[in-house]
Amino acid sequence: MVLEVHNLHKQFKGKEILRGVDLTVGAGEVVVIIGPSGSGKTTLLRSLNFLEHADRGQLQLKDQQIDLAKPTKQQVQWVRRHTAMVFQNYNLFKNKTALQNIAEGLIYGQGMARQKAEGVARAALDKLGLADQADAYPAELSGGQQQRIGIARATVLHPEVILFDEPTSALDPELVGTVLNDMQALAKQGQPMVVVTHQMWFARNVASRVVFFADGRVVEEGAPADLFAHPKEERTRHFLNSLAENY
Amino acid sequence: MKTSKIITTLLAGLPTTLTLLVAAFSLATLLGIGLAWLNLRANPLARGLARLYLGLVRGTPPLLMLLLAYYGLPVLLKTVGINIDHWTRLTFGILGLTIGWSAYLSEAFRSAYLAVDPGQLEAARASGISDRHAFWRIIVPQAALLALPNIENLLIGLTKATSLVYVIGLYDLYNQATNLSNQTAGVDQLKIFTILALGYWGLVLLIEAGFRQIKKRTAKRIA
Repeated sequence: MVLEVHNLHKQFKGKEILRGVDLTVGAGEVVVIIGPSGSGKTTLLRSLNFLEHADRGQLQLKDQQIDLAKPTKQQVQWVRRHTAMVFQNYNLFKNKTALQNIAEGLIYGQGMARQKAEGVARAALDKLGLADQADAYPAELSGGQQQRIGIARATVLHPEVILFDEPTSALDPELVGTVLNDMQALAKQGQPMVVVTHQMWFARNVASRVVFFADGRVVEEGAPADLFAHPKEERTRHFLNSLAENY
Repeated sequence: MKTSKIITTLLAGLPTTLTLLVAAFSLATLLGIGLAWLNLRANPLARGLARLYLGLVRGTPPLLMLLLAYYGLPVLLKTVGINIDHWTRLTFGILGLTIGWSAYLSEAFRSAYLAVDPGQLEAARASGISDRHAFWRIIVPQAALLALPNIENLLIGLTKATSLVYVIGLYDLYNQATNLSNQTAGVDQLKIFTILALGYWGLVLLIEAGFRQIKKRTAKRIA
């Protein structure tokens, strides 16, 4: 297992958001989490790299076993250096160019020499066909370009797992394809990922495993073909039936 | 009176005006950063202290602040055994303006800091970048740019407020003009003050041009 979460609990002001979540990600696995808005999917993702602090739970990442409720500063930093995240609103550093955005984590997160890091960043932009935007600031880029750079920023770190928090939700419809394309390419290279998304196409076609999440817990999970065609739980059936593509 | 005589007389006050402006604004910037930092602490004592200072200082007219600095501060400090009677008027002038503008600037810095999208700090953390690096490389540069319009306003305000130092007997642009006008019993008053006004306008136009350049070059980094 690359990542294993056990019995994750989280409250916000007395309201239970996560009610004992178990989740595993194996080598090369793409785990896609689907479910209604407000069910805690994003909080779950953000608890894994301590952008939220869980009340209870165990995290195993590589060989490290970490108490999610009481991590040491070193453990927080270690987890963040071995994972990466892609955000709904891209969250690119606005005062940095595309190239600098990709290089920043390599230099200041992993201690790579600046010149080498910029070389890696340039190669990543080349691969995306965005080499001519290397010196552009985020404000000069489209949402799709920003998100693709956000993905490159995460990928170059070679993390154990990349966490995607609704990466296409803020995009114009015609830009969604390019971003999903990058993610699919990444999946094919065997990069372990956890993806929270409303893009059912991605869940059906790229996921190794789909997790249906509702009311702060995993309702059921399985291979996409099984889960979409033969959901076991009533809650899952109800959710899948209400999707726009089924109308 | 010849225009050239008026101009040369007023120009004799320019070094004082510029010294006040540059020194007070620089010191107020440093003090303002410290105050903003205190005000953003979670510690209620630190925040309380900063807010007390802001409340008192912002509620004091700049003219009164200069008078208090010049007449009040030496008396106050003498009670704790510190003698500052030998300080120059210019020092007191700088001090009075520094105290006032530190409060205004600290609010400009604080609001700019809070205006930087917190998602970028999260992105930095998620990339394994330490909070310290994120602060200096991502947050501060953007906060500085976001604060620019307020900083510009405050610098222009201070340019004009330097004219208040006549109350403690400093000969800046403004006091030179008043002095010259009094020498001729007010006959050339309008001419002198028109030239004086042009002088302040010139200074302010220079400041505006400078800030326009900075904003033009950096606009893309905060949009």
